Amino acid sequence: MQTRLAEWIKDTPEGLEADAILRKCVHCGFCLATCPTYNLLGDELDSPRGRIYLMKQMLEGAAVSERTQLHLDRCLTCRACETTCPSGVEYGRLVDIGRNLAEQRIARPFWDRLRRWMLAHVLPSRALFGAALAAGRLVRPLLPARLARRVPARRGAGSWPAPRHGRRMLVLAGCVQPSIAPSINAAAARVLDRAGVSLVEVPRAGCCGAVTFHLNFQEESLAYVKRNIDAWWPHVEAGAEAIVVTASGCGTMVREYGHMLRQDPAYADKAKRISLLARDVSEVVAAEGPALAGQWRASPAPPKVAFQSPCSLQHGLKITGVVEAILRDAGFALTAVPDGHLCCGSAGTYSLLQPGISRRLLHGKVRALESGRPGVIATANVGCLAQIASGTSTPVRHWIELVDERLA
Amino acid sequence: MDAVAAAPGTRERTLDALRAVRPALAIVADDEGLKPFETDAFIAHRETPMLAVMPESEEQVRAVVRACRRLGVPVVTRGAGTGISGGAIPRSDGVLLVMTRMRAIVSLDPVARTATVEPGVRNLAVSEAAAPAGLFYAPDPSSQSICSIGGNVAENSGGVHCLKYGLTTHNLLAVRTVDADGDVVETGSLALDAPGYDLMALVTGSEGNLGVVTRVCVRLLPLPERTETLLAAFASVRQAAEAVGEIIGAGIVPAALEMMDRIVIEACERSMALGFPRGAEALLLAEVDGGEEEAREALAAVRAILERCGATEVRVAADAVERERLWKSRKGAFTALATILPDFYTIDGTIPRRRLPDILERVYALAAEYGLVVGNVFHAGDGNIHPCIFYDANQPGELERGEELGGRILEACVEAGGTITGEHGVGIEKLRQMCVQFRAPELAAFHDVKGAFDPGGILNPGKAVPTLKRCAEWGGMHVHGGQMPRPDIPRF
Amino acid sequence: MEETFVAELCERVRDHAARGRALRIRGGGSKEFYGAPGGEAEVLEVGRHAGIVAYEPKELVLTVRSGTALEEVEAALAAERQMLPFEPPHFEGSGTQPRALATIGGAVASGLSGPRRPYAGAVRDFVLGTRIVNGKGEDLAFGGRVIKNVAGYDVSRLMAGALGTLGVITEVSFKVLPRPAAETTLAFELDQAAAIEQANRWAGQPLPLSATAWEDGRLRVRLSGAATAVAAAKAKMGGEEIDAMQYWQDLRDQRLPFFAGDRPLWRLSVPQTTEPFLPEHGQLVEWGGGVRWIRGHPDPLAVRSTAERAGGHATLFRGGDKSIGVFHPLKPALAKIHRRLKLAFDPAGILNPGRMYDF
Repeated sequence: MQTRLAEWIKDTPEGLEADAILRKCVHCGFCLATCPTYNLLGDELDSPRGRIYLMKQMLEGAAVSERTQLHLDRCLTCRACETTCPSGVEYGRLVDIGRNLAEQRIARPFWDRLRRWMLAHVLPSRALFGAALAAGRLVRPLLPARLARRVPARRGAGSWPAPRHGRRMLVLAGCVQPSIAPSINAAAARVLDRAGVSLVEVPRAGCCGAVTFHLNFQEESLAYVKRNIDAWWPHVEAGAEAIVVTASGCGTMVREYGHMLRQDPAYADKAKRISLLARDVSEVVAAEGPALAGQWRASPAPPKVAFQSPCSLQHGLKITGVVEAILRDAGFALTAVPDGHLCCGSAGTYSLLQPGISRRLLHGKVRALESGRPGVIATANVGCLAQIASGTSTPVRHWIELVDERLA
Repeated sequence: MDAVAAAPGTRERTLDALRAVRPALAIVADDEGLKPFETDAFIAHRETPMLAVMPESEEQVRAVVRACRRLGVPVVTRGAGTGISGGAIPRSDGVLLVMTRMRAIVSLDPVARTATVEPGVRNLAVSEAAAPAGLFYAPDPSSQSICSIGGNVAENSGGVHCLKYGLTTHNLLAVRTVDADGDVVETGSLALDAPGYDLMALVTGSEGNLGVVTRVCVRLLPLPERTETLLAAFASVRQAAEAVGEIIGAGIVPAALEMMDRIVIEACERSMALGFPRGAEALLLAEVDGGEEEAREALAAVRAILERCGATEVRVAADAVERERLWKSRKGAFTALATILPDFYTIDGTIPRRRLPDILERVYALAAEYGLVVGNVFHAGDGNIHPCIFYDANQPGELERGEELGGRILEACVEAGGTITGEHGVGIEKLRQMCVQFRAPELAAFHDVKGAFDPGGILNPGKAVPTLKRCAEWGGMHVHGGQMPRPDIPRF
Repeated sequence: MEETFVAELCERVRDHAARGRALRIRGGGSKEFYGAPGGEAEVLEVGRHAGIVAYEPKELVLTVRSGTALEEVEAALAAERQMLPFEPPHFEGSGTQPRALATIGGAVASGLSGPRRPYAGAVRDFVLGTRIVNGKGEDLAFGGRVIKNVAGYDVSRLMAGALGTLGVITEVSFKVLPRPAAETTLAFELDQAAAIEQANRWAGQPLPLSATAWEDGRLRVRLSGAATAVAAAKAKMGGEEIDAMQYWQDLRDQRLPFFAGDRPLWRLSVPQTTEPFLPEHGQLVEWGGGVRWIRGHPDPLAVRSTAERAGGHATLFRGGDKSIGVFHPLKPALAKIHRRLKLAFDPAGILNPGRMYDF
């Protein structure tokens, strides 16, 4: 597409990056086919192509208003469009740039600002979110069913094997996951332990920074990023093989550390190294798979699984078919899930900020997942887990938990 | 097309009239929201609409058209905006009627093999809905994942399987439109024919000039039992073209017969790494389908012909996954080409198949003359060529040079006994070449046809058919009664 | 000489237009019976404008002058193992009267297709281009000689079935197809409802159907295609294999006993899955249920409303009282556009006036 970026942005790093991305777009419209919001709303402005155009106008110096902000806010950042785009337009990066610029130009109403500030500061804090969740669980029996389902029940983590192997990997602790589902990382640790790898959680590392980043507190988000890098770095130098992430949403973010800090002289090299070391837990389990062969339980027969591939896994990390293969190896039968490319509506804080669209997507997703009558639904991201669980009575688990339970 | 400013007050009057439509209509009236609608997939030209609306029912469409008719405001209809001849580019003095919210599959009858859909339904969604019944909707343009059935009707879209299954016009039973008076006109019928003139033939491919499509009944076909896909590499385009003629001459009607030249092969390889044979000048992608035995028999026959015609390598897709991969290259080719230069411009001419090698030589010669890169990926079985001209839109003058080259190629197609558009439509892109393809009385007849459906000329004016005046300004050889450029060429 | 013919034709039409004198276009006269009688008119003979202009078998494209005999066209195609896929009826009459030779122009103008139509397509589907002389005496060319062409409105297809009321066809280009290598017919004893249902079920499967006909409790199904495909379909479908080459030709040209005699013949074109109706009248069902031929003197209004209720239309095909209108009445919005089109192509109203509707 032809571009004429405005003087104020043209030669900045963001401007150069945005221009290169825009130039790749040929306005063919293929991205509309897989965009969840376009699917629901049927409006060009709620499609990737429409949003690209809105951002292009802003970058070319046109005045922007709540109009642009609304359609950018409605984007789930699921990046299905990137998977679909035949021209390689990096929509996700463009929308990060666009949202940041829009945030600077368009004032939000007070309540909106407050809500976003709260989310950006409560969710990433294990202490605050943990306390809030505990309060929620306390009053859960009193809540109406619809609301109660949004408060996930607590499941015990189980034991964490002592680090007995020479091979070490780090695991991202995360922010909401330890409160909602501490069992996930523990399960990952047990599975990898059986494969000859010890998984270590570094206490000082925490939230990956994605929540704050996508709420457009991009500068603040960098503080989380740097904190994690600082926490991991000594272990990396000591020979940790990888940084394992059990939430694909966070995994996508850690993969971006290198890009985010590429201009930062103090952190650029470290961040790049960290991003290269980041692995989704599925990549690690797949690589260590041979070590697990023969360790699977013979009985009882496992339930049929519907696997929901999170957007961050399939479109962000571009990992497809890997989890499915692991589940099959572990003896699970997978049901067919139509429209697997569509988002479940969780999308970080989206389910809280755009509840209407989010619920509609959730209903569609649950219908698709249950169409094959599975005994359990598996996912690879804690946000999706909480979202889907709020819409179904079928148990929803992280796939690593299922695999863990299949080990004899 | 020239941007025309609406008369003072028109915008406000139109907005009032649209706001009065009941049930209330989604209206876009702010510049910020209108801009993203300023072009379709023919991005070389842009014009911001005066207003845009997104109706959800035929009643609303009728009300919009009636209001615009009354106020003399042009109406441009848009589907998914994937057209590449600019047929849905708005007018600054007009209303853009966006049909993407009318997207219900109204009914699907597996026994009668029909589907009745609203115009905004995606092409592929029809085949997806029909698949459980063992049926499919045959026309499959490259944009089938997103382009709308209404847009397909307006453009008479083709696809890669036209040779066997025809264009959109061959796969319709009934099309319901709203004409410029706001009346509902039902063309075709649920039976295999309809009384009176074949108005469905006129409406199909009329590029939004003869009515707004509000409902379409398409014919569904049984999915073939077996499909075989072959890829053959050739050391020259001429050899590949000869193989095409031989296959058809042997009495085989392949479901598809597609060709790619070296530039496209390399681009696809770069962006998709499909493992194509190296060093090939032309690739031929052939597909045969039918019953188990039939497809197997045809596969053997096609393979033998390809080898006899000098293919350096012939690959047969072993399974559906491999077939999908081969097709991915073809369907994603245009956009993969964006890796060559940021912008490209796709031409759509048809020529008698035997002229393929000549026309490609001519295309390469013209490309050299203009100093531009041109890649070719096209429907060889139909003689429908799609040269892609690469340019850099940020370089002043390059687009204009590309457009001029495109025009020369189309004129060469007409000279070769062909036509200026096989399936993309005229839009605004090929208006000039219409003056080459048709003489003044024929163009006048087209205007008369339009007049029968749209006496006030409010539906997508300025598209598809040039005015005689414009033809005269552009060169006017036919208008001024002068000699035609090649009087010996039949004027078909 | 051929161009002279077109030039003279233009001249004559212009002359008639100026004087407001109607013309009745005639090729071979084989379809004189079809359509409304129209008013008084001078006959315009186009049968001598004959000959194949271009035929490239490898292109699958044939261009012919409108006066060319249909049988000549078919012979030329057969020599290259090709065919007109829409199997046009000839209707050349039987033994006693002098034979009226069907022309290709008449085949297009009448818009009639034969038994293969539901499975291969109609005449309009295979028209690539036409050259016509309109009512203003202008020589116009639309469409082309290539398989895909979307330049300009599809006026060439419009000529198919327009019964010469919009222009005199002088030349037509067709897409042609290879003749199937093998052909056979299967017969099944079924009642009408079961036959219609069965024909539709088969049409939804990848079987090489090329015609169906039901009469007197017997469904005949023709299969055409690669020898292997026909054999496989035969094994799958069962039934009794019969020799029916002549049957299909006689069906196409209405020489079967069903069509004999003078009783009116109605053609009801309805959705293929429409259940049987008007059981009191003798019927022959073609096109997988899409066409129901009715012989006798049914109440025209009942016939028309039955067809319309089913989503189709009824034509008084032969005989009967044509004053009720041969063709199904048009809805107002359609009639409006028909009149305007007629006025656009033939402002003086001199081409076959009244042959189709009252214009």
